[in-house]
Formats: sequence, C-alpha cells, structure tokens
Amino acid sequence: MMRPVYISSSAAISPQNSFECSLFLKEINCTTQKKLFVQEPDYRQYINPVAIRRMSRLIKMGIACGMKALQNAVVTMPDAIITGTGLGSMTDMEKFLKDMIVLKEEALNPTFFIQSTYNSVNGWLSLQTKATGYNQTFVHRGFSTEMALLDAQLLLNETDEKKNVLVGGFDEMTDEYFLVKSKVNYWKKDPIDSLTLLQNNKTDGTIGGEGAAFFVLSNEKEQALCKLASIRMIQEPNAQKIQEQIETILTAHRLKAEDIDVVISGRNGDLRFENLYDEGFAYLSAGTSEICFKHLTGEYPTATSFAVWLATYLFEKQKTPDVLIYKKGTVKSFKNILIINHYILNTASIVLLQKA
Amino acid sequence: MTDTIVITAVGIISALGAGYQENLQQLLQSKPGLKHPRFLQTLHNDLMLGEVKLSNDSLAGNLGISLAEKPYTRTSLLAITAMKELLQSVNDLHFAPDTLAFINANTVGGMCSVEDMYMPFISEEKEGDFINYIDTLDCAESTKNVTDYFSLQPFTATISTACSSSSNAIIAGAKMIRQGLVERAICGGCDAMSRYTVNGFLSLKNVDKNPCRPFDQERNGLNLGEGAAFLMLEKKEDALKRGAPILAKLSGYNNSNDAYHPTAPSPDGAGAMKTMTEALKYANLQPTDIDYINAHGTATLNNDASEGQAIEKIFGTNVPFSSTKPFTGHTLAAAGAIEAIFSIIALQENCILPNLNFEKPMEELTITPVTTLTKNKPLHHVISNSFGFGGNNVSLIFSKV
Repeated sequence: MMRPVYISSSAAISPQNSFECSLFLKEINCTTQKKLFVQEPDYRQYINPVAIRRMSRLIKMGIACGMKALQNAVVTMPDAIITGTGLGSMTDMEKFLKDMIVLKEEALNPTFFIQSTYNSVNGWLSLQTKATGYNQTFVHRGFSTEMALLDAQLLLNETDEKKNVLVGGFDEMTDEYFLVKSKVNYWKKDPIDSLTLLQNNKTDGTIGGEGAAFFVLSNEKEQALCKLASIRMIQEPNAQKIQEQIETILTAHRLKAEDIDVVISGRNGDLRFENLYDEGFAYLSAGTSEICFKHLTGEYPTATSFAVWLATYLFEKQKTPDVLIYKKGTVKSFKNILIINHYILNTASIVLLQKA
Repeated sequence: MTDTIVITAVGIISALGAGYQENLQQLLQSKPGLKHPRFLQTLHNDLMLGEVKLSNDSLAGNLGISLAEKPYTRTSLLAITAMKELLQSVNDLHFAPDTLAFINANTVGGMCSVEDMYMPFISEEKEGDFINYIDTLDCAESTKNVTDYFSLQPFTATISTACSSSSNAIIAGAKMIRQGLVERAICGGCDAMSRYTVNGFLSLKNVDKNPCRPFDQERNGLNLGEGAAFLMLEKKEDALKRGAPILAKLSGYNNSNDAYHPTAPSPDGAGAMKTMTEALKYANLQPTDIDYINAHGTATLNNDASEGQAIEKIFGTNVPFSSTKPFTGHTLAAAGAIEAIFSIIALQENCILPNLNFEKPMEELTITPVTTLTKNKPLHHVISNSFGFGGNNVSLIFSKV
C-alpha cells in the first residue's frame, strides 16, 4: 500500500466567495438561470500583467488559484505541477472553432488555439514559478481531479526527500456548453432556484457550474491541513459498487462506519443518480453527517476538487455552515471525511481525508 | 528503480500503415507516408499530411462496427484498431480485475467529428444525428470506446500534454506498476486529423506545405499526421513467468518542463537538455551508452534549433540521431507512443532509421542527422524525445533485454 500524503494548503475559486476563506458563505450566491459562474478575484495580483490581457477566463482562474495555493503553503517553486480538467478552456475552443468555420479556415488567431490546449494552465504555472520539474495534465472527465491527486501520491511515494506538488482541478461553464449539453439532458428542464437544487430531486438533470481548486501536497506531515489517505475510482458505478468500495476503504484504514464524521456527497438533484447516494451510503452510520455543495457550485467534471477544498475548510474550522448540511449527524469534531462524487459520464470516486 | 519494466506487446496505426509489420516494412524501405489530404475536408488541400490511408468506413468495417448504429469518431476508430493488434498478440492473457491499467493520451478528442457538426450543436435544433456526437468532444471518449469495444474494465486515465501526451502515458503506466497499483498497463495515445488542429498550427505559422525537413537549415515547419499506438508494460518477472516475448526494456524516463514560453522551447536547448540528462541518470546510463536518438524533430525552426543544440551538448558528434516525422507527420498525442515503437523497431532490427529530406546542415549545429537506413552495429540503448507546447518535455529510454 502506498504511503499517505499530506495537503499543506488549499485554494478555491468558485461561485461562492471561497478565494478569501474568511468570506466563505457570509453571503450566498444563487441563480435561477440553471448555471452558476465563479466569483472572480482580482487576477492581477497573481498573474503576469503583460500576459493577462490575452488570457481567457479559465486560464486566469487556473493560474490565480494555483498561485494562491502556493502562497498559502509558502512555497515559491513546486517540485511538480499536476492538474486535471475535464473540458479545458471551452471559451478558447469555441472561439477558434467558430472562427475557423465562419472565416473559412483563414486569418485565425493562434492565441485561442494555444489556450485551448488542455495543458496550457500547467505551462503558465511552471512559467510563473520557474518550476522545471514533473508536469502533467489529466483529462479524464469525472476522474480528472482524482487522477491528478493519485499521480501526486505516486510521485511522492517515489522519494524520501521532502517534495511539494501543486495539484489542481478546473473547468468552466459557457453559454454554448450549457446549450449543447442541454440537448443530452444534463440540466433541469424548468428554471429553479439553485439553492433548492437538492430538494428538487424528482426530475432528471442538475444545474451547471464551474470552479478551480488547487492544493499543495507534500510527503511531510508538518503544518498539514489534513492527510490524503485514499482515492478510489469507480467506473460504471452503481449503489452496490459504492457500498463495497466504502467498505474496502474503511477496512484498509481500520475504520468503522461510525468513525466517518462527515460525508461530502456529490448529490446534484438529478433523479437518475439519487439512488447511488441513498443506497450507496447504506453502509454508513446514522451519526455521520452528509454535506452537499452542488447547490452552491453547480455540476462540472472536476467538482471533486471543490469537495476536497471544502474538506480542508471543515478540518480547519471544525464546524459546518448550515447551508451545506443535507443530513445532520451527531459528531462534534471532524477527524475523518469521506468524499463521494458521481459524474454524469458514468464515473464515481471516493476520497478519504483524515486529520493529520 | 528496483523493478525492470518491459514492453511485451504493441499495436500501431499510422500513415505508414496498419500494424507493426506494415510500419516496419515502410521504415525499412524508407518510404514516407505523407500525401495530400484524401479524407480530411479542408480548404488547405495543398498541404502534405500523414493521414492514415483508410476511410472511416474501412476502419469501421475492419472492426465489424456499424457507424449507422453507434457513432464512433475517427479518433476512436484509430485507437480501437491499434488496440486490437496489441490484444491479439496477448490473447492467451486473462486480465484479472484490478490488475490492468489503460492509460490513453489525446489532444483534441473527437474534434474530427465535432467540427463538422458544431453549428447544429449550437443551434436551436434538438434532434438529428449530431446529438449522438455531443459527448464525443472530450479527450476521454476514445479511452472509453476502446475499453467498451473490448469489454475490458481496466483502471483508466487519459492524459493531455500536447505533443508529449503518450510519452507521459507510458511514464504513468510504469509508475503505477512499480507502486503496485496494477500488474500491467497498456499505454499510448491517439489523435485523428482535424481541420481544427491543421488550422491551429497554420495560425502559428509553423506548417510546411511540402514534406518536412527536420534538422535542415532550410526547414520550414511541420506536417501534421494522425494515428494511434499502444504498448503493454509489465514487470520483467511477470513477463518471464507467462513466457511473453520481451520486445524491450523501459530503462529510463523523465518528464520535466521548460518553464520558458507557452509554445516555444528554450532557444539554447536548456529544457531538452535537462529532460534527456535526467532520463539518462534515471537509467544509470552515460551519453556514450546511447546508440541512437529518435529525436522529436518536428522541423519547426524553434524545436530543431533547441533540440539539436541539446543533443550536441550532451552527446557531442558521436551518437546518431534522426527524426521520423517525415515518415508519419507529427501525430501529436500519438507521436510519443508511435516513436516509442519505432525506437523498439530500431533495437529489434539493429538499425538507425533515416531522417528523410535532409540536405543542408543547420548553421548553429556541427551535428547532422543520419539520412539513410544504417545497419552497421547492434543497438543496445535508444532514447526517444517528445517535446510539447506548454514546455512539456519527455524523454524515454528503451534498451535491449
């Protein structure tokens, strides 16, 4: 079994005010438009001012969030940079593709093409930090963040020296992407108040969202926010597979069901997947709290990265804002947090985080 | 590195042909695969491209797939074709659950189909054939189609680091095996020709209309190509236990980043030098141990200047090198895996593959590439380079076992 690794800092840009942690959920942002967009910070503090003018939203989101995670960990140059993105910069892809069609393959702007490559955030982060080490980008739908975290664990297990790995996940929502995916029933048909998403679970579809979350992972426990104990990925998930995997993880870490203080679940109001959570959690104890977040962020392929950020927030604050609570448990302090997230293209993942 | 990781099976499709044998024969006869576009519908039909010489219908027919029943992008068809060859050579192998990983790599997913349908995608239309392709744009669609087609349930991942994508897939697979996550990993990548990519590189002004000339003073850019290639990695002891043929050993690798510019490599070759030097260190080899360098050699002004200087600084004038891009075109996410197989061909056949179209040495270099197929001594160690946008550099070292 691989050694666990530690999360020494975290940062998130999301539809809520998460970038400045102290403002998180002081005000709640919601919508009836079935898609949530991030609260954008002042990017100029984090990005080369000359380069920033040509950058698209996702690129700015990714770089700023990565830089903030490094600042929070007081790391200037990470030993490796590993990211996950399901979609890459949709804005750039859409612009380049439409220009190509409309302008009949002439006079195209290379900036959109370059920024639409999935590894461009990685490239910028290494440029800005002068990090010449290992650099990797995973693009596997609902496993993109998970693979980035797992790859960091693999990398940190290969060495006994202290290393810092910058890991992140990011995706963006665009009006076009929303329209395209509405044709294959990703979203609710009728407008709803995003805050009532979880109660709106008798129909198909969810609301769209976006975000970026970055972490510094290290093989040293010192100053850790929490321990990343285990990551499991499940293909073609069903309730039984989720139950079995939860059991496997708990057994491997010598935990009983009641040791899990909080489950952060990826419930998104989509009737088609409610059963995965309802029955999938059958193994868990009545005392465990269930916390949800997609009514605050919307759905996107790398939503697990927000859940991991939320876990680091809970470990630090040791209390749960009411708006997150789906099922109130009895536990008073947080030692073990399980994240269980499903994505529409037939994947689910389980992440176990423990107090360091 | 404690465990020796070996390659025991391969599958490949490129502009040179479908399968290891066709690719081998074309290479040994120094016959390039570049032609004007036959299948890609583009206004730039004067470009030389490394298209696979089979239509989507032929590819599908060979796989017993009915495109009318289920949509497959060309990306997926290429990937399934390459995987079929690999699996045929290991058909005695039963993949127990949780013992196999499939690490694929890709740069533009099913763009080859999506670019023909994007206007209906974003119209108010809600019905039509295009609906079946809506979930095919992302990079994991080919990964999923491959595992579904063969009814495999491996641990899967998809990587996208531009032109070094499938080299990174090979590294990822090796790491998973060494850490005991899986016993075997099938690693590689695929990319189909798309107008999107062709126009992307045209907008960057680094495409040569004529056959590319790597490491030539008059080089004028790259030719794009398409293809798919996969390699099966496992521990040497596991391969021996099942009596598998061992094609080569993955004796070293490195992934590092230039941290220089979003698309251009460091002009003095510092990034490429670091990557090759670290890979040598990992393999515990000296530059003099390397018998052949399969260069990235895209024939862009920047790449060849940077890579050429890095090769000269590390290896001096002693180690033969060549780029095989004039055979296949630049196959992007598939390039690392295709050239890994070419490196294995070099080891198996004890030959240095020729760098076609070279005439005039570069001013900034004293070294020149090997221009004809050379068979004058046994090869033991070959290094294969893949350098991409975003400064994503990878070097792999393959050795005889």
